[in-house]
Amino acid sequence: MIFKCKNCGGNSVYSPEKKMMYCPFCDSEKSDERQHEHAQMQVCPNCGGEVTYTEHTSALQCPYCDHYIIFDERIEGAYAPGRIIPFKLGKENVKGLIRDKFKKCTFAPTDFLSEVRLNTMTGEYIPFWMYNYNTRCQFQGEGVKRRVWVAGNVEYTESSYFHVVRDMSIAFQGIPADASVKMPDGIMDLLEPYNYGEMVPFQPEYMSGFLGEKYNMAAEMIESRAHAKMESSAATMLQQSISGYSSLTPANRSITAPPPGTEFDLLPVWVYRYTYKDKEYPFYVNGQTGKIIGTTPISKAKVWAYGATLWACLTAVIAMIGIMIV
Amino acid sequence: MENDFKKEAQRQYLHFFRIWFIIVGILLVVTVLVVVAKNMTYTSRERHNAQAPAERVYDYAEVLTDAEEEQLRELIAEKEARIGCDLVLVTMRQPVEGSAAKEAYGYRYTDWKRNMQDIGDDFYDNHFYGYNAPYGDGALILDNWYEGQVGTHLSTSGRIFERFGNQEIDRALTYVDKYIESDPYKAYSASINYIADVMSGGRTELRGIFLMLALLVPIIAAGVFVGTHLRSKEGKNTTTATTYIAGGKPVMNLQRDDFVRKHVSQRRIQTSSSSGGSGGGGRGGAHVSSGGHSHGGGSHRR
Repeated sequence: MIFKCKNCGGNSVYSPEKKMMYCPFCDSEKSDERQHEHAQMQVCPNCGGEVTYTEHTSALQCPYCDHYIIFDERIEGAYAPGRIIPFKLGKENVKGLIRDKFKKCTFAPTDFLSEVRLNTMTGEYIPFWMYNYNTRCQFQGEGVKRRVWVAGNVEYTESSYFHVVRDMSIAFQGIPADASVKMPDGIMDLLEPYNYGEMVPFQPEYMSGFLGEKYNMAAEMIESRAHAKMESSAATMLQQSISGYSSLTPANRSITAPPPGTEFDLLPVWVYRYTYKDKEYPFYVNGQTGKIIGTTPISKAKVWAYGATLWACLTAVIAMIGIMIV
Repeated sequence: MENDFKKEAQRQYLHFFRIWFIIVGILLVVTVLVVVAKNMTYTSRERHNAQAPAERVYDYAEVLTDAEEEQLRELIAEKEARIGCDLVLVTMRQPVEGSAAKEAYGYRYTDWKRNMQDIGDDFYDNHFYGYNAPYGDGALILDNWYEGQVGTHLSTSGRIFERFGNQEIDRALTYVDKYIESDPYKAYSASINYIADVMSGGRTELRGIFLMLALLVPIIAAGVFVGTHLRSKEGKNTTTATTYIAGGKPVMNLQRDDFVRKHVSQRRIQTSSSSGGSGGGGRGGAHVSSGGHSHGGGSHRR
């Protein structure tokens, strides 16, 4: 499907700034109209140009007429996302954030923050599985509290032994794991957390103006990632609940959870793929919070030159102070 | 395009190091001024002693060539003007030990060390050395080449006596020991240079520390700089243990901390006491010469 402007026939897109559908061609708000529903996928329903898409693509931009096309088949039925966090930051906002963050990055190539390069940035809805766990943490063991004091020239150590029992329930909600093969897991983890309070029921309108994917794999296949996050968090909570002991010897410790409940949601990510010396340096920006993950390419020659200058300056300063004092 | 990038990179470079370049520039000016000022104060010292002879180098043992003697005189003249102290070198080849020597030369003692001290002090006093006044600021290096009684004595007086502790005296003599076998000229000039260094406020330990600082600190700082900038981090993990917990905290079903037993152990504390030594500077080897003048000094017998 394509969202067309009723007033001018242009492509209506979702505007993160206005938080509504908007036509950038005639400035109309909420003038959108769904057209070409369930059109065939190989050609652009607007211009007839041939479009290339992958196995998982659910939304793309026509390379000929720049219209954003949403594949109905891939947002319906089994692939229907439950909820979505619509893009909260528009491209201009994110460009500003990236500029602020890397302004001081002396060793990035000079065109890294150029307007032309930054404009290649795309907003993408990434498929996420959300896992809800009802976790039970149990602990039994021996805790020792030690007190040391000195009287005269004798040091006394008092050890008090306690039987420690803990039993707690933790309800985890929405531990995310990205269901996209092309997105690196570690990077997606670093983009967290998202504010789920702004999550809304899915509507295709939110996808207009952005790229998207359906989930690439079933929830069970990547559950281990969420499970690991759950376990580590539960272990921390358990440990925090047992405090004040000098030493602790566990006799029995368990963290268990029945199979989690899952939901399929879409989360917004801005992707800036910068290429330097034939190598790609991808940047990912949380489309809701603006958190930026990525490493700038570094000119090693530049770093060494700066290091050498720093060395020379320091040596000169110390030597001159030395000459004056000594 | 390529040129633009180069220009931009140059601009960034200058911008990045602007504070550093300014500091280095200012320091350079200040250093030049300080060095000039120091040199001016050195030359402004005036000698107040007309009684002492002009000669400073007495090579009775004839271990130096005429050219070397002349070079030493020049060196001493330069250093004297700088530090305002007389510097005298005496070499000799004469027994100073035993009763035969005592008889023959009219020494007060029979032992090497005390006689060397007497000879040095008396030579200094009898020639009225002292930059500020007779018997005043200065030092005398007495080097005996008599076989079996070879060694050096340093006699200090006035400001050098006040400044030189046993450590400095030992250092000055060690410079002689170090080179005397291979090159007597080098041995004496090194010792004279050291004395002048110490007297011109140049504390050689401090110089060593600065040398170490100048070598190590910049290398470490530049290394850390390069290291941190070559490695760049992708980003920080900003989730916490409670990020995905509904309500932000777990529900505690059961929490018990039951006291079981108590146990007290004791240990005798070993007490140890230690006392530190004390150090001091100046007035090393203080004594009064036969002429009644205060001297300091020490000797190294080889």
